[in-house]
Amino acid sequence: MIDISGLIGTIMNNPVNIPLLYVIYEFLLKIPVLGGIVAFLLDFSILGMPVVRYIIGFVLWKPFFTLIIIPGFATLGTMLLVLPWLERKLVARMQWRVGPREIEPHTRGSIQLLADTLRFLCQEVIIHKDAHKHYFLQFPFLYFIPVLLPLLFINAGAVGHPLVPIETPYALQIMIGLISLMPVFIIGVAWASNNRFSFIGAVREAFMYFAYEIPFIISVLAMIVLYGTSNTAEVVSGVNQSTWLHWGIILNPFAALTFFIATAMATARLPFDIPEADQEVAFGPFVEYTGIVFGLAYIMAYEKAYVLAAIMTMLFFGGGSGPVIPYLGELSYGIWFVVKTLIILLVLVNLRGVYPRYRIDQALSIGWGAMLTLALFALVWSVVIGVII
Amino acid sequence: MKKVGTPEYDLSDKLKYHVSALSTAAKEMALPLNITTHYPRERKRQPDCFRGYMLFDPERCISCFQCSFVCPANAIWMKDAPSGRYYPTVDYGKCIFCHFCIDSCPGGALKTTKIHDVAYKTMDEMFTSTEEMIEPPEIIREDVGVVDYVIDKEDLSLKRTKEKDALIVDVEPSQGVPMVSVCVDRGSCLACKVCDRICESGAVSSVVEEATMTVKMAIDAEKCTGCGLCVKECSMQILRLVRK
Repeated sequence: MIDISGLIGTIMNNPVNIPLLYVIYEFLLKIPVLGGIVAFLLDFSILGMPVVRYIIGFVLWKPFFTLIIIPGFATLGTMLLVLPWLERKLVARMQWRVGPREIEPHTRGSIQLLADTLRFLCQEVIIHKDAHKHYFLQFPFLYFIPVLLPLLFINAGAVGHPLVPIETPYALQIMIGLISLMPVFIIGVAWASNNRFSFIGAVREAFMYFAYEIPFIISVLAMIVLYGTSNTAEVVSGVNQSTWLHWGIILNPFAALTFFIATAMATARLPFDIPEADQEVAFGPFVEYTGIVFGLAYIMAYEKAYVLAAIMTMLFFGGGSGPVIPYLGELSYGIWFVVKTLIILLVLVNLRGVYPRYRIDQALSIGWGAMLTLALFALVWSVVIGVII
Repeated sequence: MKKVGTPEYDLSDKLKYHVSALSTAAKEMALPLNITTHYPRERKRQPDCFRGYMLFDPERCISCFQCSFVCPANAIWMKDAPSGRYYPTVDYGKCIFCHFCIDSCPGGALKTTKIHDVAYKTMDEMFTSTEEMIEPPEIIREDVGVVDYVIDKEDLSLKRTKEKDALIVDVEPSQGVPMVSVCVDRGSCLACKVCDRICESGAVSSVVEEATMTVKMAIDAEKCTGCGLCVKECSMQILRLVRK
């Protein structure tokens, strides 16, 4: 038999500390029948290994927990289910409409997205004869690589308690690199579609990429200069962002503003939804997609928005720092992180109800004019503030 | 030539407008002013004079063809009934709901309702025969409330009441402009008595003068409804409709 005790020890000795689980465990043991079942399950062992304990330990193992639950896939999935519905409801309220209502009216149409997903699943995926068949089908799935890989470096923790799957000193650079890779896949999607609207969408996407990329990178660079590190675990810990007075948005609001506008441009939200403009180019690069592949394309914008909002929370809003919720231990940081990210996302998606769409030349002049100036000023500001502190 | 350009704003103006737009959005998000009626479950209260589906009362119809003549969309055709009378039929594919027919009907046989949501499966069904116009169409009422649009100060708001709005209303038939038929050229009268025979209200009478062996026709202005049938039928075309 292979000796895996060392590996198990590594896993079991690095759990997420949630005191509430112990409270629940103690409470369950006191209940007559259920307590016996719980005690039996926890003592149940195969070949001398308590399997259930190991499974619970593996789920609570910090890298696994952060990647799968907070701030990883489970949080992302919940956001994807909730965010489009919230966006439609809130924008409807702004515009004196009602929004989705007819599906499950008692909960204000909250399962609208599930119904949409079911509809996408049942629809036929049509590949028209002019499209490049393989790339047409592969690019939407390949797009998941740059969208999902940044989840590995998102830190939901706070001072002294990082909740990050992989700690590396190059985390921010890797994330920016992956985010910069996304437009390539969108242009690939549009090129494989071989349609005039998707072609226009691809050109517009390329222009938008030129417009926001440089200010976006410079604004992140300003924060790296300010914090002196690009490790996401260190960005929110130590002297950096220890109290709310040291949050990035207080120290360098210019970088925060630039980053936010760049996020709106990168995720093609409404003031800058030039590549996907429904009324002009009919969802641009994704015009030829149907069925579940279109569903993926539709949802990917929200995934991208989640990743960018998470980076914004880490850089400018102190990550998961906040009042400690008793009994939740390290989970309370994760909850604060999710709440902050959700607020940023709501502000981002609700720009749809406030601003009309810019023209492509206006967006380019904003990117290379105001935003670049603001980003460079933020960089200088960071140097000055860094010297003072 | 005057050239209109984009307005010039400085930075403080721009910031002011951005803040104003965002704060308005936040305010509406928190306390929205909703003016949507949830239609199948509640109906907007229409005024009694709403121009909707038309009902027909054959008892009051005098077959004067006014509705058919006045219809600007040529949607009303007169069809002969077994009783020898002519009754209107409406093609709702053509009808523009101007309700000139109702306004022009001298007997008040046509009447408006608040029914505005009638569905047809084919174009042929939209041609509504006289028999179908007597009774209102079958309506499945899902509504439990009525919505009134109230304008208070400057804002529009909704007032919801738990009641069912009566779709069929009793309104007085339109009087229109009171007209009366007069003879403009008595000398040309042939005394063919077509007017006497066609008059529904018995306003035309004839007096035989034995001395001159002539028949004189007379129209009683009190009894005349101004339907204009005699004007149309007069063989010498000497009758005219004039205002009372």
